Amino acid sequence: MIQKLYDKLASLNLALWLMAGVTLLLGVGSFAIGPEETARLNSMPLFTWLTEAPPATGWWLWLTIALLAVLALNTVLCSIESLRQKAGRPGLLLRLAPQVMHAGFLLIVLAHLVSSVGGFKEAIQVGEGSVISFPKGQVQFERLDAEMGVRGYVTDFSATVTATDGRRSVIRPNEPLFFQGAGIYLKQVEPFPRAVGLVEIHREPGAGLALLGSLLFTIGNVVVVLQRRQDKL
Amino acid sequence: MFTVFLPLYMVREYAMKWPLLIPIALYCFGSFLRPLFAVAVFAELVYLGWRGADLGRLPLIGPHDTLIFFSASIGVMGLPLVFSRALRNEVTFRWASGFTAGIFALLALRFPAFTMPLPPVLRTYWFEGHVALAFFAYALFCIGAILGLLFIFGKRRILLDFQYRVILVGYTFFSLSMISGGIWGYYAWGTYWLWTPKELWTSILWLFYSLWLHLRLKGPEWDRAISWGAVAGFAITLFTYLGVSMLMKSSHSF
Repeated sequence: MIQKLYDKLASLNLALWLMAGVTLLLGVGSFAIGPEETARLNSMPLFTWLTEAPPATGWWLWLTIALLAVLALNTVLCSIESLRQKAGRPGLLLRLAPQVMHAGFLLIVLAHLVSSVGGFKEAIQVGEGSVISFPKGQVQFERLDAEMGVRGYVTDFSATVTATDGRRSVIRPNEPLFFQGAGIYLKQVEPFPRAVGLVEIHREPGAGLALLGSLLFTIGNVVVVLQRRQDKL
Repeated sequence: MFTVFLPLYMVREYAMKWPLLIPIALYCFGSFLRPLFAVAVFAELVYLGWRGADLGRLPLIGPHDTLIFFSASIGVMGLPLVFSRALRNEVTFRWASGFTAGIFALLALRFPAFTMPLPPVLRTYWFEGHVALAFFAYALFCIGAILGLLFIFGKRRILLDFQYRVILVGYTFFSLSMISGGIWGYYAWGTYWLWTPKELWTSILWLFYSLWLHLRLKGPEWDRAISWGAVAGFAITLFTYLGVSMLMKSSHSF
């Protein structure tokens, strides 16, 4: 009985059905969720939104998470089975490439889970001299700068900030400041009548795991491509 | 005032776009000949280079530039197959790839060629890498679909072998595009993931091709389903690229 369940959980067929199920649910969800609800979902961690949203709005995401959980288990078991079969064969390291991709995929799923539980986002309006306080220090906004284009709109903007650890930095689009585990992102600067900026504070605890997972996935993927290149047509 | 400047604007628009008619004509009417296919790709790359020099960056914003980039990607990605020994006699493949590239370039003519400067958040190599890799992947998925259709009607096994390689490389490009998009998102917005229709459809596309690659492990009796799967995959690709931007509200819209 247990062997039968294990075989089912580790099977390729289950993986195919689960991937098809997640694909379908995401497709339905993309039409079911409206722009307002999307904006709300993006303003808070996933699990906070899921507990607040009515079941009629979030049902597809609950189902997707359930299927992804089974898919993760299926991926682990399938990889174990594959390792068992390949053990002791020549060129083992190269043969492990698909399993390295699986490990990368699992880390990325785990990263989403971690961020969905422990993520943090907050928007703050700042002026020159404003201070943002953190549990163990502060960041002060010394200057806000904006470049105007010939057509009269802002073409670039930045903020000069000083942190209590002594760092003086310039933050601008794509160049945030990381301070005490959080990222400080400058979203917008309005130069007139008095310079004000819109800042967002983000904490994405799964980011490191996601990067590690991506690296593993890429390494495995590239090795698979190189292996297939050597196959004769 | 408006009536005076509108015709001038239109003249400038068409003056800028007319060189594109050369690759379109070559793709649609001459790509069954290998040298003409190569000339079409070259002419389109010249146009893209000219646009890039005009803009001072890769032309990857707006429907005009992205359609041309997509079309050129189909040409560039198809070129090694067109000149490969194994597909030397596949005239239909050559013409179908060229014609598809020509159709997307033709579609680009309908849209204005923007010359606006990039918003600050888009001025990063992560963005350019993200978009360029996505279009290389889309192009390979397109070629995979063409090979699938040719297999369905011609039953030559070699077409399926090429299809697998093409889609595997496309999947690699697409995964890299998602990763570079995540890194860019983390630096630009503070998160590597946003719940937008485009990101959902990107995940759908990635999952679909993951499913497709796993389906191959079922064995040769699934060859026909796999071929149709590649065609369905390209339909999802087109929806992810064009459908979401036109029909759904997303931060990724043109």
